[in-house]
Amino acid sequence: MSAAATTTGTTAYHSRPVSGWARNRRIVLPVVGALVALVFLAPYIVMLLNSLRPSSDVVQTPASLLPRHWQLSTYSDVLGDTRFLNWLKTSVLVACASTLIVVVVSIPAAYFTARFRFPGRTAFLLLVLVTQMFSPTSLVVGLYREFFSLNLVNTYLAIILTNAAFNLAFAVWILQGFFASIPKEVDEAANLDGCGRVATLLRIMLPLTLPGVVTAVVFTFIAAWNEYVVALTLMLDESKKPLTVGITSYVTGYEQHWDQLFAASVIAIVPVVVLFAAIEKHLVGGLTAGSVK
Amino acid sequence: MPQHDPSSPAAVTAPTVTAGGGALTLEPAGAPRRRRRYTGTRTSPLQALLWLGPALALIVGVVIFPAYELVRAAFSRYSITGLRLGGAGGRNFDQVLHHPELGTVLLNTLVWVVSVVALTVLISLALAQFLTKDFAGRRFVRYAIIVPWAASLVITAKTFVLVYDYYYGTLNLVLTKLHVISTPIDFLGSDSWIMPSMVLVGVFVSIPFTAFVFVAGLNAIPHDVYEAARMDGASSWQVYRSVTLPLLRPALLVASVLNIIYVFNSFPIIWTLNDRNPGFGHDTTITFMYKLAFKSAEKDVGMSAAAGVFNVLLILVVVMAYLKVTSWREETA
Amino acid sequence: MPRRLPLASVGAGVLALALAACGGGTGSDNAGGGSSAGTPAAGASSAGGSAKPTTIKLVAAEYSKDHTAAFWNDFATAYKAKTGNTLDVQVVSWDAIDQTSSTMIQNNNAPDILNLNVYASYAKDGLLYSADDVLSPDVKSDILPAFVKSGTFDGKMYGFPDLSSARAFFYNKDLFTKAGISAPPKTWDEFEADAKKIQALGSGTIGYAMPLGPEEAQGEFSIWAFNNGGDWKSDGKWTINSPANVETLTFMKKLATVDKVTQNNPAKTNRADAFNLFKSGKVGMIVGFSPLAADLDKDGKVNYGVAPMPTKSGEPQTFGVTDYLMAFKKSGNQDAVKAFYDLYYQKDQINTFIKAEGFLPVTTSGLQVFGSDPKLKVYLDTLPNVHLTPTDDPTWDKVKLAVQQNIGAGITGNPKSVLDQLQKTAENGG
Repeated sequence: MSAAATTTGTTAYHSRPVSGWARNRRIVLPVVGALVALVFLAPYIVMLLNSLRPSSDVVQTPASLLPRHWQLSTYSDVLGDTRFLNWLKTSVLVACASTLIVVVVSIPAAYFTARFRFPGRTAFLLLVLVTQMFSPTSLVVGLYREFFSLNLVNTYLAIILTNAAFNLAFAVWILQGFFASIPKEVDEAANLDGCGRVATLLRIMLPLTLPGVVTAVVFTFIAAWNEYVVALTLMLDESKKPLTVGITSYVTGYEQHWDQLFAASVIAIVPVVVLFAAIEKHLVGGLTAGSVK
Repeated sequence: MPQHDPSSPAAVTAPTVTAGGGALTLEPAGAPRRRRRYTGTRTSPLQALLWLGPALALIVGVVIFPAYELVRAAFSRYSITGLRLGGAGGRNFDQVLHHPELGTVLLNTLVWVVSVVALTVLISLALAQFLTKDFAGRRFVRYAIIVPWAASLVITAKTFVLVYDYYYGTLNLVLTKLHVISTPIDFLGSDSWIMPSMVLVGVFVSIPFTAFVFVAGLNAIPHDVYEAARMDGASSWQVYRSVTLPLLRPALLVASVLNIIYVFNSFPIIWTLNDRNPGFGHDTTITFMYKLAFKSAEKDVGMSAAAGVFNVLLILVVVMAYLKVTSWREETA
Repeated sequence: MPRRLPLASVGAGVLALALAACGGGTGSDNAGGGSSAGTPAAGASSAGGSAKPTTIKLVAAEYSKDHTAAFWNDFATAYKAKTGNTLDVQVVSWDAIDQTSSTMIQNNNAPDILNLNVYASYAKDGLLYSADDVLSPDVKSDILPAFVKSGTFDGKMYGFPDLSSARAFFYNKDLFTKAGISAPPKTWDEFEADAKKIQALGSGTIGYAMPLGPEEAQGEFSIWAFNNGGDWKSDGKWTINSPANVETLTFMKKLATVDKVTQNNPAKTNRADAFNLFKSGKVGMIVGFSPLAADLDKDGKVNYGVAPMPTKSGEPQTFGVTDYLMAFKKSGNQDAVKAFYDLYYQKDQINTFIKAEGFLPVTTSGLQVFGSDPKLKVYLDTLPNVHLTPTDDPTWDKVKLAVQQNIGAGITGNPKSVLDQLQKTAENGG
């Protein structure tokens, strides 16, 4: 991996056309690009190939890259498994809801701290910075205690709130910077024109910070999608487990369904990659207009 | 992550402000960047509470309160079953500090964090340069790099277990077929290979985010800066060193700080890849803490909570020290 | 534009556009703060309000993805029909169940019934009902004496077995034929010789697969130790570093490092990985149990036989394992808990569960039910006399973890000092 990347780096530094290089880069860059892509996709290609063979073929010696027996039925097995569908549903629900909360909560906080001075501003920003360093893994016992006393163990709300809280810091942090970088004249003008503070934020500031919002969205979504330890502790109802937890029951000390594990993994990755791709398109379409290439 | 996304944490955009304003020098952007210090409108705390309330509630309710519970647990004595038996004073902290494997675990943590973050940043810098080039298939390469980020860590780690396996592993298969090695390597079982193997996965999953922050940072550097530098006759390397890197500094800071935090707190990779190795020989402080509570012979929640408190303090100190050294305050204030 | 966030260059255009957006006045403003995600916050379902039915919670370990949850859900239905009480079923993977149960107990939120592979520490903490409280005499007398004994702490039975397994010696008949071995080995010497012959077949063949990794190291060592006259405890004293045990670990080390007849790195091989090797037909011998047999039968690739364990000390010993269903003392749950056990230990419930999971019975009546299956004969015959680990000693709960984490070091290091250390751990109460 690093070999490929290093090559990339060296070529990248030569941004000035050197004799011959201009011609070569048409070939070299795509080839290097293909290699880089291969490196990053390799484990997932292994995953895909392993999802297309029976479990016993996955753990067969000697190893083989391609399946000795192809088996497509695993996908229909997994997709027909209501347990899997429930896990998937939970993951999507939790990730979306956490993201929504983070966006709704962080935008006013970030905007306000960027625009106004008030007692406790520094303290708030410091608090945000400090919470960024806490990991839910360390706090899982306290979280359980709290949600238990609120009678929220085994509810989506508990995991959603946890994911939202632990990702809030990042969102506030980013957005605060974005808001701060927008010239003050913009909202002063808006205010003069009769926009209230809320309207200024929604109509004027927000569109300008869209890239920041997207970053916060992507970041929160991924973190919530990935969360494992808290869900493991707080979600005991089979039907309410998220994918990260549920998926581990395919391969345990007692039984091993490698084929299903990998098919489920492939299915789980697809929506997120599609989401990323969709966001990229949206942004490229909507925001590159003014970019100088 | 969007193509031209200055997605980048806030600070990334800061240099643009002055650079775009025409202050073109080959000097590191530090001096002229002397921030236009933002002086916000004064407002009442009550107003503030209205706007910050939800965020505060969430942070206090779901982060601070459990943290308080963690500290309380650290001062309690627990049975192996999890039953609280009473107060423990400082006994748990004492036991963690005197744990025979503590040195190993701290060293592992140091190796893990430093190597993953350093490699991630270096490779991502190169990769970001590459990704800002125009070439056929660039979009595809960007999508490919997104995949490790989009895949959940648990899934990626499980996949790597199979990739690394001594008997069924794809990596051994490929290396053997290419005649790089003649006998398989026990990537996950050998004491000398396990850490590099885990670091590789750590770097692998950290690159996407980091590279995209750098891409955003690079996109934020205006072209005319380069033009000016070249007119002065600077070589590519000189341009990179004296223009690109300094202007990328905010992005570098953001990426490294966030990576330090995430890599330090990373659980699934080590937990999954290291599961066959007994004892604490290859654990970091996070998995050490978890094992103390549930898997090791100690099986002591109080001790684990004490280790958890140390964890939080440790990362706090490390990040603060890092920010101090890199004089971060100027960037954000 | 996104390449730089606009400063002066945001330009009048954007500004004008933005201001235009405000033209409509403030009436349409929506703070957006109110739209929190409305999520179903369904708590534990409570019984529908009639007379005084109770809801009790079961936290069960997941033996198999397809059968465990299915069985307990059916069971809950039957339980409801029979008693009017509700059984709230939560199935947790083995990886997570320690954390789950510990977290619950820390928060004074123990389940009513917990399924786990240990119980004595819980009994010692005074958390559990004993058999006197919650088992009907019929139920208790049906449980095999070996399991009554292992479930008894401090004179009372607290650990009620849900199922059992007995380890047996599996061998690959095809590899035996290839290596010219006519019958499974009966002694350690024969075993060692056979392992060497199989290993000598080459092309990746492995004589004996030895899983001493942290997952189940105590099981693998127990089997060998018991068949050398050793044990973890005898006459109430820890005997982890007894001469017999040191000899056993030394023998295992020899297999791995001198004879080199095991798979790569036995100290770091978990049981499931060793099973995979056997299932792929590359391993001559392994210690397995009935779920392995079920997998082998399903794959139909390996022609295997099952035999008693080779022994160094005479009569072959069978290593047995049982897991427990324990009941937590909570006010008002005693009758519901008792009804739970009354139903679970009915022949058609418990044995349905055990059969689906591929394990072995724990009751006398269960022995009869399973006796009709010739494949299980080899296990069932040994079951009444199985040799268990000292699960009745709370110290074992910690010693087991120490063994899992450390005994593998005996393969690479000095067997005696590893066992000495474990003995010390045990004597210090874990």
